Amino acid sequence: MADPLPDLGPELDPRVFDSVEFQRDPFPIYKQLRDHHPVYHDRFHNRWIISRYRDVDGAFQDNESYDRAIYKPDGPYEFGSRHVFGPNILEYGNSSEHRRLRNIVAGQFVGQKLTDFLPMIDQISSEVIERFVDDGEFEVVTQFSSQVPIRVISNMLGLPREDEDTFVEWYHLLIAGLGFGGDHMARGIQARNEMWDYIDPFIKQRTKNPGEDLLSRICVAEIDGSRMSVEEIKGFVALLLAAGGDTTDKAIANMWYHLLYTRPDQLQDVLDDPSLWENVFTEMMRYDPVVHAQFRHTTREIPMHGHVIHERAAVILYLGAGNRDERAFKDPDTFNIHRDDLHMGRENRSGRYKDGKNGHLGFGIGQHFCMGYAMARQESAIACTRLLQAVKHIRPKFTEHPGITAPSIDSGGFRAPEQLSVVFDR
Amino acid sequence: MKVKVDIEKCHKSGECYYNHPELFKMGEQGYPIVVIEDFDDPKIRKHAEQAIEVCPALAISLE
Repeated sequence: MADPLPDLGPELDPRVFDSVEFQRDPFPIYKQLRDHHPVYHDRFHNRWIISRYRDVDGAFQDNESYDRAIYKPDGPYEFGSRHVFGPNILEYGNSSEHRRLRNIVAGQFVGQKLTDFLPMIDQISSEVIERFVDDGEFEVVTQFSSQVPIRVISNMLGLPREDEDTFVEWYHLLIAGLGFGGDHMARGIQARNEMWDYIDPFIKQRTKNPGEDLLSRICVAEIDGSRMSVEEIKGFVALLLAAGGDTTDKAIANMWYHLLYTRPDQLQDVLDDPSLWENVFTEMMRYDPVVHAQFRHTTREIPMHGHVIHERAAVILYLGAGNRDERAFKDPDTFNIHRDDLHMGRENRSGRYKDGKNGHLGFGIGQHFCMGYAMARQESAIACTRLLQAVKHIRPKFTEHPGITAPSIDSGGFRAPEQLSVVFDR
Repeated sequence: MKVKVDIEKCHKSGECYYNHPELFKMGEQGYPIVVIEDFDDPKIRKHAEQAIEVCPALAISLE
């Protein structure tokens, strides 16, 4: 069992959300919110915070009261990602347009389509591992976790395999630009422009002669009788890179971080039984998922726990806090891949399971539930299984680790270790 | 025309009520409830057919 979190009492200074301590270890603050302020009006940042499992789940389900986007009086939705990605699906709140755009690609990451793609994921994983398998050591983030998902997406789009290395490079610059700003932003935008120029001829070609690949599908999809513009197609591709690449990248890194540093005893269990990778994935998505916060805007007044959240208020749903709610999970601060109170199988949009257990909130729930959920799980499990087949006695290179230091949770940044060095035998 | 949901087969994936709220809503425990019992409208029929297609549990049928 993990050490109990300190009881911080009811006094909460909202400036804590901007602090480095909160970024590194948000869990004591999450507990304080759940116990003392299940609805917290953060007047400093002009927003409300919801943190208990049932309440976060309820808000995700309630499309009548919460919208994902902000409506500007003069037209389009406002979301934070346009400056890097160009126009994309995340800007379309709860509208029917969002549903139509989502449905163009949603079916591509599940069921038979996904099954058909598994051998390719397997092959890509082996190729990535091949590059460092003779070195006796590697750095998980740059050499493994970020490599597999981007190559997979590039393949699904139907881009030439020889361009994958360049694609991975652009990806790293793009994501750094999104997360860290400043000089990173300038380089990120430059990388994006190079990527746009690169992909232009492919868009023209696939529009004329569509194939079976994802890019063709996006190019020829008709929404209300018309196709997407070239700008919109590019925005869609960038979004797939971030949503399908970056999140899976960080999921794999978080799985390894927690197995190596939080529960090294359970790494042995996974070595003995590789089918447990799915449990590692699920428990990681509960204990410390890649995304901790989702943002909503209220479309009407919401009474909750003795407060009234006003209409058009900004609301943060801390799914990272809901996942640690002792009202939903026993011993919530213990990372345990053998947990009997967490639904360990594949997730779904309703978040309701026949085994009667609670699911994690890591993919969101409801209308905006992650459409890559099945693929993220399979891809992570396949890549990690292949890795353990290729190397022996994998262990951390350093006994101390700075922990998870990636961008601020409230910025929408994805949480993961920045680096993770391991050594192994063959 | 009637849409039927076989609760025995249903996984509670939520695909029907999130994709087709005009036909389904989420009921107790996450099982779907059909909101339009009887219909002739071909447009609704098309929605029903799409719901049948997206259901991962093959639990929806038309009668």
